[in-house]
Amino acid sequence: MTLAVNIAQSGSNNVTFRNRIINGAMVIDQRNAGASFTPTSGNYGLDRYRYFVSQASKITAQQSSTVPTGFSTSLLQTVATAVTPGASDYFIFQQNIEGYNIADMQFGTASAQTFTVSFWVRSSVTGTYSIYLANASVNRTYLANYTISTANTFEYKTITIAGDQSGTWGNTNSGGIMIGWDLGSGSTYNGTANTWQAGQYYRTSSSVNWISTASATFYITGVQLEAGTTASPFEYRQYGDELMLCQRYFQIVRNGIALGNTAAITVTSSMLTPTMRASPSLSQQGVIQLTNGTTDFVQSSTSTTLASGSDNCIVYTLGNFSGLTANAAYGYRIGANTNGVTASAEF
Amino acid sequence: MYKLFKFNDKVVSVTRLADSTSIPFDPANTDYQAYLRWLEAGNTPEPAEENQ
Repeated sequence: MTLAVNIAQSGSNNVTFRNRIINGAMVIDQRNAGASFTPTSGNYGLDRYRYFVSQASKITAQQSSTVPTGFSTSLLQTVATAVTPGASDYFIFQQNIEGYNIADMQFGTASAQTFTVSFWVRSSVTGTYSIYLANASVNRTYLANYTISTANTFEYKTITIAGDQSGTWGNTNSGGIMIGWDLGSGSTYNGTANTWQAGQYYRTSSSVNWISTASATFYITGVQLEAGTTASPFEYRQYGDELMLCQRYFQIVRNGIALGNTAAITVTSSMLTPTMRASPSLSQQGVIQLTNGTTDFVQSSTSTTLASGSDNCIVYTLGNFSGLTANAAYGYRIGANTNGVTASAEF
Repeated sequence: MYKLFKFNDKVVSVTRLADSTSIPFDPANTDYQAYLRWLEAGNTPEPAEENQ
């Protein structure tokens, strides 16, 4: 009953898929499997969350079991080395929401919908913090402040924002809207709170520089962005559903049919499930082990190159083997390790 | 820096050498968009090897 009332008050027509954020409960971590990582600028950490840092190695991040009631995982950032940001410095993380997933909000038109952001946050550093929302071109930005009142305690934040009636907003498979959290940035990125403005901003001048406190911690989970003026309860999804939503943007391929091309190279074909946002870029996570059923073959080092691809299939070479036979068939040696070809169609 | 990749005598992808990421020629792929910006800045990729 409470959920129904809250959903009705939120103005959303959706009982499910109210939450446009993917991995809002921080349960999916394909790249690091719960291990700590040191974000470099442009890198992804937990699925769908991307970091931009002007100085490397100042932050570590990790999936965490420190959570508010009702959640099992959060995203933890820790200051590895404190920094006093210069004017052009930035330390932020964000999620880009695909245009298809916010098309109904009609941003950039006179019918733009009001939406509400909610999340649980905890930090060792109290004070005023900023979130930013922006279009894909980052030439329309909205800043909103929130306050962490008590150190080391999860607090629930809700922020309601009138949709932008100006600017160009993606409504297909390009970027729709991005939402980001400032952890400390320079004055170049100071903007005005509570209004849509032209330009790229991450924070207001009154926001704390969390990055300036040695060993500071910042946890976040339960992130939700939904249509309407009221935050409804967090929309829990089944793990498999959340994983498939993430895999539209990033997946680790560990299946396919490989044919020997030379003694060192195979040509391999793999299906992508689910269909990805775009034809993906390929890389490798560890060396791959293939088998012909009787003998295993292991790369001496990673080597993969895309030969052809679409949003649901890739054909690629795997190199640095030895002893392969031309035109012989090989399969992935599942269970030997968790390595694979990474397919990324992130923004 | 980037290097073109040729397969069956056709250039089919481009590799970003910094992290060995293989990038499709898909306008919706943001790595490809970054490659196009790199080209527009006046840069030239390394040619593909002929025997691939």
